Amino acid sequence: MPVHGKRVALLLGATLFLFCLPANGHEERPVGASPLTKNAPMPAIRMAPDFALDGVRLSGLRGRPVLIAFIYTSCTRACPLLSARMARLQKKLIAARLPAVLLSVTVDPQRDDAKKLALFAKGFGARPGWHFLRDEPARLAPVLAAYDEWTQVLPSGELDHPARLHLIDGAGRVREIYSLAFFDEEQAFLDIVALEGK
Amino acid sequence: MNRGLLAGLIAGIFSANLNAETCLSPYIKQKTGPEKVMYLWTLPAGAGSDYLSVIDVNLASATYGKILKRIEVGSAGNEAHHMGFTDDRGRIWAASLNTSRFFIFDVRTDPLNPRLERTIENVPKLTGLTGPHTPYALPGRMLVTMASGPEGTGPGGVVEFTNEGEYVASHKTPNHAYEIVVKPEFNRMLVSSWVPQKMFMSPMSEWDPKQFSDSVTVWDLKARKIVQELKGDPVPLATRWALKSNASYGYSINHAGNSIWMFRRGKDGVFSYAKAADLSPGCLPGDLRLSADDRYMYVSCIGGGEVQAWDISKPEKIRLHDTVQGLVQANMMHLTLDGKRLYVTNSAISSIDFSPRYALRLIHVGPDGKMKQDPFFAIDFSQAPNGPARPHDMLLN
Repeated sequence: MPVHGKRVALLLGATLFLFCLPANGHEERPVGASPLTKNAPMPAIRMAPDFALDGVRLSGLRGRPVLIAFIYTSCTRACPLLSARMARLQKKLIAARLPAVLLSVTVDPQRDDAKKLALFAKGFGARPGWHFLRDEPARLAPVLAAYDEWTQVLPSGELDHPARLHLIDGAGRVREIYSLAFFDEEQAFLDIVALEGK
Repeated sequence: MNRGLLAGLIAGIFSANLNAETCLSPYIKQKTGPEKVMYLWTLPAGAGSDYLSVIDVNLASATYGKILKRIEVGSAGNEAHHMGFTDDRGRIWAASLNTSRFFIFDVRTDPLNPRLERTIENVPKLTGLTGPHTPYALPGRMLVTMASGPEGTGPGGVVEFTNEGEYVASHKTPNHAYEIVVKPEFNRMLVSSWVPQKMFMSPMSEWDPKQFSDSVTVWDLKARKIVQELKGDPVPLATRWALKSNASYGYSINHAGNSIWMFRRGKDGVFSYAKAADLSPGCLPGDLRLSADDRYMYVSCIGGGEVQAWDISKPEKIRLHDTVQGLVQANMMHLTLDGKRLYVTNSAISSIDFSPRYALRLIHVGPDGKMKQDPFFAIDFSQAPNGPARPHDMLLN
């Protein structure tokens, strides 16, 4: 395994270890964590641009909330931490029997082939309902552009890209945009509950 | 490691070298290294279009300290005032106090050659509000404070658009909204206040103190709902949250009270608000900036013609640390993230400016917090090639 790959594997392992705590809904909220808001109104921001990647069509998921994250697997810092938070979110959604769908779309289709994405997904214990998507660069580019995503290679080799997640309601409208840096899976869970009217 | 620590780790990844300058929205993308270019929102002192000045601030450049380019917005009398980056640093939203237009510049494609991407003309019709002051980044969206109702009078609010310029929502305030600060860690947004549009576009002799706002509203950011109103001295302009993660306090400058006020979030989540200091007589504060380490706070005095550095290392006992004088009508300031360079402009609003000696200047700050004006860095906007112009807000990239 190349050195870079080892670094990724180590970080992935460390991140997974940190997130091995159960998401059973009875944990104390950490001191200093942001207060949660139930039933936030979240006015519609815009219609979510439709796309079909890897055989998953966004409009085919109507009727269910969809959370879309833009990531890449060789990202050594934020993406694994975010994906770990999404794993916790998925556990909570399954436990609450909420039929939301999680999509992690790579912004780095050149390096993230199907095998790498599958390994990444497995590493985070992704269960059915969480799709890791890629496509050929030419087919992916308009999708990224429609979500105002762009990439720039940094001197370190990492990719700079807008760090956002989009929450889409069952009618296909973007209802919330989260910052990756401040993403809180417990607030996202409450937002999905609010969208489902439960 | 618990989830609280992990949340801190994620925030820490993003907060290290978060911006080229301090006091921007915490949602704005990381920018490492020293500033290379300044965007300065400029309005002519005479006739002509408002424009974005592109200024070389790259210390290694042969054209350091020169205006490289002017991007005109194609209309006059807008009253160029404040700007804000979008969260991805890809665009600048520039607001016009007088015509309530929003100008959106693309600065990602070529940072040295910004392009006017879109002008939003019908903001009062879309939002029901006028007098936009501060554009402030949220993830994928911009919030903009609006001073007043549709006729330029009455209470204003906060409006919300997508980064590309599509209208999302309006949120009313009980006062004349001025500036936004957000602390995501607490899910709280503070909005300061000033005067309605019709008043601030009139000579100061016509300003009616009865219409001065005197409050900072505290919002549940997620719900876009006001949960508390903090009352203090009139016209609390610039308001800054201490910059360290989870810092529970901050300050405002209260122009009409000639004072500094401190807010603090209590352990029960309720905010207190009290005067922290009186400013020197005649200061009439215009802007407020903090150093990234929350040790120094800078106050510009429009009336007093000086910039003051306050030692805020003991947040409840702030004290004046140093002063640079001779900066007539000192107003907007931007401090680099390393705390070493403080850029200052000196036009407030065309209706109240009392000196035509318009300029962009630079103050160097030493490790001891002492300030010294750079004798060589000065862009004299009173002698600008296309005629005298008023420089106001800046952004560094």
